[in-house]
Amino acid sequence: MSKPILETRDLAKNFGALAVTDNVNFALAPGARHAIIGPNGAGKTTLINLLTGALSPSSGSVYLAGGDITGMAEYQRVKNGIARTFQINTLFMGLSVIENLYLAISERMGVATSLVRPAGKDSAVMEEAVRILNILKLEEDSLTEIHELPYGRQRLVEIAIALALDPKVLLLDEPAAGVPTTESHIILDAVDSLPKDIAVLIIEHDMDVVFRFAERITVLVRGAILAEGSPDDIAANEEVQAVYLGEGSHD
Amino acid sequence: MTAITGADTAATAEAVKFLQTRHRFHWAEVLPWVIAIAVFYLLPGYRLLATQILVMILFALSLDLIVGYAGIISLGHTAFFGTGAYITALLAANNIPDPLIGLVAAAIGAAVLGFLSGWVLLRTAGLTLLVLTMAVTIMLGELANDFDEITGGFDGINFTNSEIFGLIEIDQLWYTSSYIYVLVVLFLSFLLIRTIVHAPFGRMLIGIRENTKRMSAIGTPVHQRQVLVYVISAAIAGIAGALWVQVQGNVTTGVYAFELSGDVLIMIILGGTGRLYGAFIGATVFKILESLTEQILGTNQPYWQLTIGIVLILTVLFARRGLYGIFEDIGEKWKDRSQ
Repeated sequence: MSKPILETRDLAKNFGALAVTDNVNFALAPGARHAIIGPNGAGKTTLINLLTGALSPSSGSVYLAGGDITGMAEYQRVKNGIARTFQINTLFMGLSVIENLYLAISERMGVATSLVRPAGKDSAVMEEAVRILNILKLEEDSLTEIHELPYGRQRLVEIAIALALDPKVLLLDEPAAGVPTTESHIILDAVDSLPKDIAVLIIEHDMDVVFRFAERITVLVRGAILAEGSPDDIAANEEVQAVYLGEGSHD
Repeated sequence: MTAITGADTAATAEAVKFLQTRHRFHWAEVLPWVIAIAVFYLLPGYRLLATQILVMILFALSLDLIVGYAGIISLGHTAFFGTGAYITALLAANNIPDPLIGLVAAAIGAAVLGFLSGWVLLRTAGLTLLVLTMAVTIMLGELANDFDEITGGFDGINFTNSEIFGLIEIDQLWYTSSYIYVLVVLFLSFLLIRTIVHAPFGRMLIGIRENTKRMSAIGTPVHQRQVLVYVISAAIAGIAGALWVQVQGNVTTGVYAFELSGDVLIMIILGGTGRLYGAFIGATVFKILESLTEQILGTNQPYWQLTIGIVLILTVLFARRGLYGIFEDIGEKWKDRSQ
């Protein structure tokens, strides 16, 4: 495996006596398609929050492209290339789709504190917004406010915003959660078509999604890594079947 | 319009055009200034009230920047209004009577206070922040009262301004030059604020109002940005406070009254938050109602508080976006019918 783009060493997070993340040593390769699975309460979202800096660890460290970012604030990590989506839509509900993208792009391009020139006049920002709208096929909804969009379309905006940040690492927290199964293929197609140079880490409950998408799978149980390997390894792993796959209805 | 290259569709082109042209002036935006000039010539007897309204509009605009745009709720904006007022009055009473120097010093002083208090206070939000902002202005009011050798305590300070540019006297009797002076300062400040809210900075503030968690996740240092807008807002409130006392020639501890913080918050709720012109409508309706109530029902406090209380309840129940929201709705209907 090539030198990891994102890595944790002995990462731990305790909420009181409860170890939510338990000495996790995890590595994400550049351009990887990696999934984290695990039963409810395994600490998957907590791990994402530790990687993005939304939470700070009790001990251990996080490295981005070899540099220690453990003490780095969430917004600085974003500027250094870590983007995420949220399990529950976390969008600017009263703003249009293009404005949601506008905010992310103007921040990335460093013009968000510009005080004089009218916002729409920066054509570099606007071109990038249109480019992202095209990628996710959100053109027709450009001027629609988020709260007027169906939930599935809102999920696409989550991914669009993350892409607008031009990330090296993209953390997808259950991208298809809450989307009717009839529509989830739109989300999955979007995930499939993400640029290959972005390392993507996906958290997902749906095993069909995981086995379709992932080239590598990490199984998290009660905060600790139980197993890691290729989809075939994981599917064949008896321990994993016992604690996780056996409980589900996967066929 | 700048052409956007790449695979635009009609929909994206329309969206881009909308964002590119949104800052343009609408003809109706000339109305407040026409009215202000008309009042000056047609209703000279009301210039005192009109001057007070102009100052309150500026104060309300400064509050709208943080409440309406950035979503920072405050019940203590008089901390900056009052500080601007005292700085101006103290300078004038100590041989620096130039009103423009007074304005600049008020802005800087209020901005420094905004930075110091904002850095600490803005780590909190919601009710905690509301109470802390209130505490700051009450504390400053008490300080002004206690240090009466400097501030004149309850009686305050009387002072005279020198002429603007050594030419124009700010008259405190007929409110001719002083009315124009306040109107010009308001106009210039408004242009500045309007520019800011249409710039990327203003859009970024709206993002903070809409969702701070999402803002952090797109790489925004939210606290820093909140402090930044708080400082800008404080500076403008400081200018409003300076104007308030310059046209009267005296300052008392009333400029720190937290009731006034409440009043200005009511003004922008009444007029509509996060839309600039809400401040114009809110401050005007508030001050005229106050004056009418006093004329009709007498100066008894309960009458006025009852009146404004009822008006506020009606606004919140039936016009959630304030009185300006009603105008917006009428405008939309008009457009639909003419199409």
